[in-house]
Amino acid sequence: MATTPSPQDKVAWEPRDEMTVLNKDARRLDGPVKVTGRAVYPHDVRLPNMVYARLLVHPAPRSKLTRVDVEPARQVPGVVYAEVLKSGGEEVLYQGDDAVLAVVAAETPEAAEDGVRAVVVELEELWPPMVTPEQALADDSPKITENGNVVVAGTRGDQAEVEATLGRCDAVVEASYSLPVQHHACLETHGCVVDFDGEKATTYPSTQMVTGSTGMFARELGISRSDVRVLTPYMGGGFGAKFGIGKEGAVASEVAKALMRPVHLMLTRPQEFLMAGNRSGSKQVMKGGATKDGVFQALYVEADKHGGMGRGSLPTPPYIYDVASNASTIRQVHTATDANRAMRAPGHPQASFAMESMVDELSYAIGMDPVEFRKKNLSSEVYHRQLDRVAKEIGWAEHEHRTEPGKVDGNVRVGIGFGVSTWGSGGRPGCKCEVRIEADGSIRSSVGTQDLGTGSRTYVASIVAEEFGLELSQVEARIGDSDLPPSVGSGGSVTTGSLAPAVKDAAHNARVALCDKVAPVLECDPDELTWQGGKVYPTGEPDRALTWKEACATVGSDPLVAMGEFQPHLHQGRVHGAQAAKISVDTLTGEIKVLKMVTIQDQGIPLIRSALRSQINGGMVQALSYGLLEQRVHDADLGYMLTANLEDYKIAGVQEIPEMVAIIDDDDTRQTVCGMAEATCIPGHAAIANALYNACGVRIRDLPLSADRVVTELAKRI
Amino acid sequence: MVLPTSVEEASRLLPTAEGGASAKLLAGGQDLLTELKEHLVEPDTLVNLKSVPGLDTIEWNEAGELTIGALVTLTDLEEEAGVVEKLPILSEAAASIASAQIRSVGTVGGNLNQRPRCWYYRAEHAPCLKKGGSECYAFEGRNKYNAILGGGPSYIVHPSDLAPALVALGAKVTLKSHSTSRQLLLEDFYTLPSDGDILTETRLKPDEVLTHVHIPKQRAGMRSTYLKFKERASYDFALSSVALCLWLDQGQITRTRIVLGGVAPKPWRTVKGEQAILGKRVDARTIEMAREACLDGAVTLSENGFKIPLTKGLLTRAFQKLA
Repeated sequence: MATTPSPQDKVAWEPRDEMTVLNKDARRLDGPVKVTGRAVYPHDVRLPNMVYARLLVHPAPRSKLTRVDVEPARQVPGVVYAEVLKSGGEEVLYQGDDAVLAVVAAETPEAAEDGVRAVVVELEELWPPMVTPEQALADDSPKITENGNVVVAGTRGDQAEVEATLGRCDAVVEASYSLPVQHHACLETHGCVVDFDGEKATTYPSTQMVTGSTGMFARELGISRSDVRVLTPYMGGGFGAKFGIGKEGAVASEVAKALMRPVHLMLTRPQEFLMAGNRSGSKQVMKGGATKDGVFQALYVEADKHGGMGRGSLPTPPYIYDVASNASTIRQVHTATDANRAMRAPGHPQASFAMESMVDELSYAIGMDPVEFRKKNLSSEVYHRQLDRVAKEIGWAEHEHRTEPGKVDGNVRVGIGFGVSTWGSGGRPGCKCEVRIEADGSIRSSVGTQDLGTGSRTYVASIVAEEFGLELSQVEARIGDSDLPPSVGSGGSVTTGSLAPAVKDAAHNARVALCDKVAPVLECDPDELTWQGGKVYPTGEPDRALTWKEACATVGSDPLVAMGEFQPHLHQGRVHGAQAAKISVDTLTGEIKVLKMVTIQDQGIPLIRSALRSQINGGMVQALSYGLLEQRVHDADLGYMLTANLEDYKIAGVQEIPEMVAIIDDDDTRQTVCGMAEATCIPGHAAIANALYNACGVRIRDLPLSADRVVTELAKRI
Repeated sequence: MVLPTSVEEASRLLPTAEGGASAKLLAGGQDLLTELKEHLVEPDTLVNLKSVPGLDTIEWNEAGELTIGALVTLTDLEEEAGVVEKLPILSEAAASIASAQIRSVGTVGGNLNQRPRCWYYRAEHAPCLKKGGSECYAFEGRNKYNAILGGGPSYIVHPSDLAPALVALGAKVTLKSHSTSRQLLLEDFYTLPSDGDILTETRLKPDEVLTHVHIPKQRAGMRSTYLKFKERASYDFALSSVALCLWLDQGQITRTRIVLGGVAPKPWRTVKGEQAILGKRVDARTIEMAREACLDGAVTLSENGFKIPLTKGLLTRAFQKLA
């Protein structure tokens, strides 16, 4: 930072080209402790006298319990606690937290597991299990929610008017698109450690809401919120599934109250699949029409959301595109399975796959370049420049077939596809940040936020480093502790929009206060100081500089403490992105290889460029994995989830990862900050599906694009 | 866990045909540990073969025959210079297995004796045929990964990748107990569910230990490959695989071995497919004949019909690679 604006000025972000710490790549502050295994995640917490608790979760969705007997569990050596959570006479209504029948706590995890297995359960499983949308929609099926199995969530537009418009179109595509339920599959399962002494509690949940978790534990423990401390310095992934403390947090609190010993309760991996939330699946039946001039004229949509016991998520069609004549009906179709939760851009990847496929189908149907067709039907100029950029990067102009697909000829074919994304991430009040400067030159920035892997910990320090012209390594960041100033939860990509302005405000206030201390020493006006390169000097007189340490010596014996809070003008919501995918497909075997993915994303000021690219890459990987592999499978007769582990619920691994190009859209010159992580996982799978069509003319309308589906379609054509 | 120092001692710790101790052999543990964790087996004792000397070597004799100890890791097999040079089919099969981490621990003996991966077999609460129950749930349930050849009454597929390659090479296995020692062609080691004991996939007796694999010297001029289709390339079992050995003389097929993996309850040698193309040149027509003959008799379930075009595609790619 070169110059210091007057301390009386309203706090504002520096011009990007003058930034020395922000808008650069930066090594994450927590990188070393994470890669060396020294970071202590909730799973790793070990306290003296701690017990390990395990839940008994029945795997089938619906049943009448006749007996749950924990007495045999109490006889297992090492077991110190076993209680029934649902007893004979009660019903299990759905697969998930409603099927938690008992809890066992023991001196070791193994004894707890043995204890859980010793619990005697007698029940009558109810048929049909109601685990598939087909079962839910069957005429004679039992009602699994008070409102029935099907609830109309929203209807809009005039279907007759849309039909009339479709009648005037040159091309009409009727198609049904479906996406399976997707799991968050966090590396760290849900759970917590609760340490309660009867009056005060320290808790260690794997959460994406440190500050807000205090109230939830307080309620369960029957104490005041001030008596709960939440410590989550590190956590192993949330993606939207870790806002509440969940059934597991409530049960852990119960056990802690009963035993007055620290309780460690983390879900097992199968339980994580059964009761820790998911992205709702969806089926979208569409009728779309375009005219030869490339205008997407009309769209009618009937969509079902498959959110289990939850409502599911799906934005209203026509989603991002401009379609003048449109109408839709969206329904919730309930199954007796775990409710959906927020998951990275809830509803958007589902809407994107159907819409981007429809857009693609229409563009080929009228013989128009799918990039041009998209631009023609997207009003925002941002998308136009972004589509042009990813098209250039993926090599679209050099690609040999752009308006018709390649042939199924027994060879390996290459195809390219596209998609765009949006997200309304914003910011809101709720964050407060403290910047504390000591006379010895140490400086730290503290806020009770969490880092889900986004890099928020690092910018809590780097915004402050920028303010004082320091190196990032000179500023300590403290987060993950509810005793620190409060923070909003990390959902809706609001963390950056809410948190960064508060940190910036605190940094600004600290600088104003420190200027007041330093100015007399340098015999100048407080607003005529320049903080640069670890030094401070009267503006224009670098030879009179004090070092950072010398400047801090003016603080005196008590630390200089400045607070900051959310400043609305420092953030601005709404982001845009575009993605392109290039794949090869072996038209004999159906083997798909994603060769390259390109994403461009805007967000205003890039606080940490490397962390942004990391988020973009992660979004691409998540979309690729959803598009090609991830599939939750139930047996419709037994009701069991057959894929409740990481072997059978297949997630992309290193071999699946293509060349990835993450582009930060520097043409977005907004002098504000904004979160963007959710947008990056929205259109990648659609781009891959579109690339498959471009490669060989096979249009798969049901995700994932698994080998069985692809080779079956190919075999029909060869 | 016990640590025997000889195969004989290990065998004595195992149950006999009449029952006895509830013990399981442990080698690399990459299959057994998953079975233990899923409570599919709950032995009182683990007999750790790692303490038995002499089972972890790969030896070529002067006659050009290869003997592989049961405890040789998949990584060691994959990287052994002679195997890489002379038996690419075996090196490729080993390299295709699971992940680098698993291959560095998993053993040849363990790989050949793996239990099924069928969803229902692995679901503790589903009492399927393979666990002594009365129903093959896959038959009318979810069966994308199940058998199209040799199925019934169980429709599991054998998960080993080494097995199809070794059967193609005409390998034998040595099976030893405390009182007996015998050799079987690996092809005969595996059984179909319809052959009898549905609780096992092999002819290994309860007190026997598979100690060695023997590969005869192959006739000169062999070309070989193992092509495996993985749904998830990073680590996965085969949706389908083709083990192909081919001997050509002036462009004509003088001898061949074709074994399919991932499609049947055992490595599926297709003698019919082999015979169909003897004397032919490797061209599109011959490949088509092989494809049809190899898949002869395939019966698909509701979700695994894709394995037919997939396997045919792999056969074409395998022939193209070797021709």
